[in-house]
Amino acid sequence: MYRKQVRRRRAVLALLIVSSFVLLTLTYQGSNGFQRGVSTVFAPVQSVADRALKPARDLVDWFDETFDAKGENSRLKSRLITARKEAVAGQEALQENAQLRKLLELDRDPPLAYTNYVEVTGRVISRSPTVWRSSVTIDLGSDDGVRVYDPVISGDGVVGRISSVEPGSSQVMLLSDHASAVTGKVLPTGVQGVVKPEVGNPEDLILDFIDSTRRIHGGQAVVTAGWRAQGLPPSHFPPGLPLGEVTSASIVEQEANQKVDVRPYADLRNLDIVQVLTGGSR
Amino acid sequence: MILTPKILARVVLIGLLGVLLQLCFFSRVELFHVSPDVLPALVVCLGLLGGSMAGAVSGFAIGLFLDCLLVEALGISSLVLLGVGYLAGLFRERFEIHSSLVPALLCMGLTLLAELGFGAVQLLLGVDSPLSVLIVRDVLLKSVYAFFLGWPLYLLLRRVLRPALVEEPKVQRRRQPRVLGA
Repeated sequence: MYRKQVRRRRAVLALLIVSSFVLLTLTYQGSNGFQRGVSTVFAPVQSVADRALKPARDLVDWFDETFDAKGENSRLKSRLITARKEAVAGQEALQENAQLRKLLELDRDPPLAYTNYVEVTGRVISRSPTVWRSSVTIDLGSDDGVRVYDPVISGDGVVGRISSVEPGSSQVMLLSDHASAVTGKVLPTGVQGVVKPEVGNPEDLILDFIDSTRRIHGGQAVVTAGWRAQGLPPSHFPPGLPLGEVTSASIVEQEANQKVDVRPYADLRNLDIVQVLTGGSR
Repeated sequence: MILTPKILARVVLIGLLGVLLQLCFFSRVELFHVSPDVLPALVVCLGLLGGSMAGAVSGFAIGLFLDCLLVEALGISSLVLLGVGYLAGLFRERFEIHSSLVPALLCMGLTLLAELGFGAVQLLLGVDSPLSVLIVRDVLLKSVYAFFLGWPLYLLLRRVLRPALVEEPKVQRRRQPRVLGA
């Protein structure tokens, strides 16, 4: 009797393991209608749960942010001094820019001025639990005009791109996901490369394959370059969208590895409201 | 665990609620820059209460539901969580749970194993980007959070699933013999 039970238990375990491998194989073959069905059915439930749990999330975040506030304060003070100097220099450029824009009759933000993108605003409703997959689900889907590979931005900068779409929801692959890669450009030097993540650290991106003969310094801004690299997943980012800021750029690192560290402008760990740039050139 | 339709419905509801809570709450809050992962702890508790079969099946189902909602590669979470559930159930079948600390410690240990297992599967499938050492912090803190989450979770699930549990009668403590009149 006991042996029979053990045999049955082992058979069930083997069946479940085999099923997992079969599911994995099926996923990589591209047949995931069941998965999309479940995701579509539960998207409204996730949306309601997200709103209901927001006060509880805010409470936990308040504790976490209190711990961080002290270190953040001194860092921000030093950045404020630098920002003041840049603001004075920027005033002149702004005046000149306003005159030029008036002449050209542009009424949209510079990165999107020359494109036919339409911004659709949505809310993050869930997030992947593991550090190995950096993705969020948003409450916008194909019904809202969202398509795979559409760029996703927040108020601070680029967040990621759409990786899959259902009628009422979509998955956003964040910049910190191991499969993410976006072409970027350092301002004002114009050095270009590919912005990749460092898996496990959402506060650090790597600008890779840069031209080592041109120097990059800490504090310089990195924006989207707008071109598509061969061998990388397709992306439809218009040029000039803010990506991040160069944090460390030692000459040795630049010459030896042809890469620099970049801190993303967008807070990839605390996303709530995002915009999808739909309908761009493909 | 004695499975009746009512108990099965409860287990399914626990799984659904667990995954939704993970995606909409636990994954979106951070303490010391790390989000808690309650799902391995949930599967461990189900395994401890129901045995290896219940643990493995619930782990597989919860993993499958998670991958479906995230529209990620199916089978990875199922594979990892079924292993965790099976091990927790096996522990329950081989050893007695003497202390209330045991479920919490098992949640911690098996969450660590689940996170390592998940990383191993992901690496086998291919990771294109460099890895940060902060992954170690993430894995360790997730295990610590599982210890604190596993404790109340086990007590809660034991209460919810009490009618289905096959509990051994408590060993009565023998009274010391007393001499009358002393």
